[in-house]
Amino acid sequence: MANYTHPEMLVSTDWVRDNLGKPGIKLVEIDVDTKAYDAGHIPGAVGFNWQTQLQDQVRRDIIDRETFEKLVGGAGISPGDTVVVYGDNNNWFAAYGLWLFKIYGHKDVRLMNGGRVKWLNEKDKSLTTEIPKVTPVAYKAAGVHLELRAMLPEVMDISKTGKANLVDVRSPDEFSGKVIAPPGMTETAQRGGHIPGAKSVPWSTAVAADGTFKSADELQSIYLQQKGVDPKKATVAYCRIGERSSHTWFVLKYLLGIDNVKNYDGSWTEYGNVVAAPIEKG
Amino acid sequence: MNHQTRVYNDVFEMLPDEENPSPMVRINRMNPVPEFQLFAKLEWLNPFGSVKDRAAWDMLQAMERQGELGNGRGLVEPTSGNTGISLAAMAKARGYHMRAVVPNKVPLEKKVLLKIAGAELDVVNDALCPAPGLGDGSINIAKSHAKAQPKKYAMPNQYENEQNVLAHVRTTGPEIWRQTEGRVTHLFVSLGTCGTVSGTSKFLKGKNPDVKVIAVQPTEGHDVPGLRNVSQLGVSKLFDSSLVDDILEVDFRLAYARALELCQSEGLLAGPSSGLIYEGAREIILRDKKGLGVMIFPDNIFKYTSNMMKHIPALAAGNEA
Repeated sequence: MANYTHPEMLVSTDWVRDNLGKPGIKLVEIDVDTKAYDAGHIPGAVGFNWQTQLQDQVRRDIIDRETFEKLVGGAGISPGDTVVVYGDNNNWFAAYGLWLFKIYGHKDVRLMNGGRVKWLNEKDKSLTTEIPKVTPVAYKAAGVHLELRAMLPEVMDISKTGKANLVDVRSPDEFSGKVIAPPGMTETAQRGGHIPGAKSVPWSTAVAADGTFKSADELQSIYLQQKGVDPKKATVAYCRIGERSSHTWFVLKYLLGIDNVKNYDGSWTEYGNVVAAPIEKG
Repeated sequence: MNHQTRVYNDVFEMLPDEENPSPMVRINRMNPVPEFQLFAKLEWLNPFGSVKDRAAWDMLQAMERQGELGNGRGLVEPTSGNTGISLAAMAKARGYHMRAVVPNKVPLEKKVLLKIAGAELDVVNDALCPAPGLGDGSINIAKSHAKAQPKKYAMPNQYENEQNVLAHVRTTGPEIWRQTEGRVTHLFVSLGTCGTVSGTSKFLKGKNPDVKVIAVQPTEGHDVPGLRNVSQLGVSKLFDSSLVDDILEVDFRLAYARALELCQSEGLLAGPSSGLIYEGAREIILRDKKGLGVMIFPDNIFKYTSNMMKHIPALAAGNEA
């Protein structure tokens, strides 16, 4: 993990094994497939459900500060704890969870490199179905960092002026407009295509065959040299509902150390539904 | 057991092998070049209804030999249906429980059949962007159950279990060799776990290296359960390209159209994967003109009425008073 700008944001599966059960270290599993945690999780890990626990249940929004505090405190996590997040699908929703932790100012939160599948396929790692017994604590969020989140007006402005990088992390077929969403997805949009000015860099270009992140040199070559992301400008990443773009947000902000990176969680399911918004296809 | 009178002491004695092969039936009206003899090997006449009886039985027996089953320990397996149906029925008949992890896109008939066969069902949404190195969601969930509850579950893992290949070296290959009296020149199969193609090809090419093995696969984005496109073959560790001479890609919608034609022109109630294999065979017959080909027809049409209605609108119309 050397050469990353913030190597402390990543832990290996071996590190997690060696630190299981140590005081002050809390594991959180967040999966796309909400059944995965119940099938088996790392001993001691709590499970957060992205559909029911990380989203506001009335309006379309992230959970508010109070709900976050209740969720995290209810899981026995204190502001001083080291939180390690992991999940399925290459940590898509785990990265989204980490983004939320950062929005609400949690100091030490890290991602387990390679996610759930790497742990699953390593012989010296165990899984359990036992739900950990936690003692709830009163959690007070250290702040609210909405500078990590892009909203529609800002995205429209960037698209018009080109003053920041726009990175579309969806599949090439979603970017071109050939499909509106991957097959079987319930959240979708009225129109297909991408935000004018966006560069297509599918999230998966950042990971190696074993699901771990590529080296800093490789990432630099992909994002900066090949795809032309200008590190001197601000950057906004988006996808369909904001989970794959959290993964890229993590790469750009912590592994490549680009200063001002935001996740546009409204993503295509917001932009592709906006009446009269300009769209590019192909 | 008496294959002559077909009287058996239990259902397992009916499982196929060289002495009790699944039938081969010649294709007549749908053969474009009569000089090329074309046969369909009807795997749905196996006792649990598909080609998967072979792999399921050999995997189950190997696990029993190794003492992996019993004392509350049953099976968990990712499956698009047929392996699960065979495994669940066999497991239940021998007193083990079975959990089947099934991709959501599997047709309803198969999901219900799995439950009828006695499997506990876990339906997972597999239809996400392909992700490098991750494998299918259903495989990972099954692995999780096996790893988290090793006293409750053993996982045969048809994608990596060599018994899945050996079953066809032991049964399908020798059956075809004997049924064709060694005259087989072409073998037509589909690709899923690749146990059938690898095992049967290994045996037949061992007997005659000139036997051509043709794998037929559906175009990307297909909905033919159990089959894989080459781009999805990463999870099939049993695939050995040296045992395959040609890989043909066929528009997956033709799988349904040809299945219907096989039913209505040949009287063979073949399922969509058989329809796909037939289409591949037809193309090769037109190219090679002479030979004796065997198509392995994995299962029949009964499990696919909902998929058939989706692709052949006439089947969906006029079903209500």
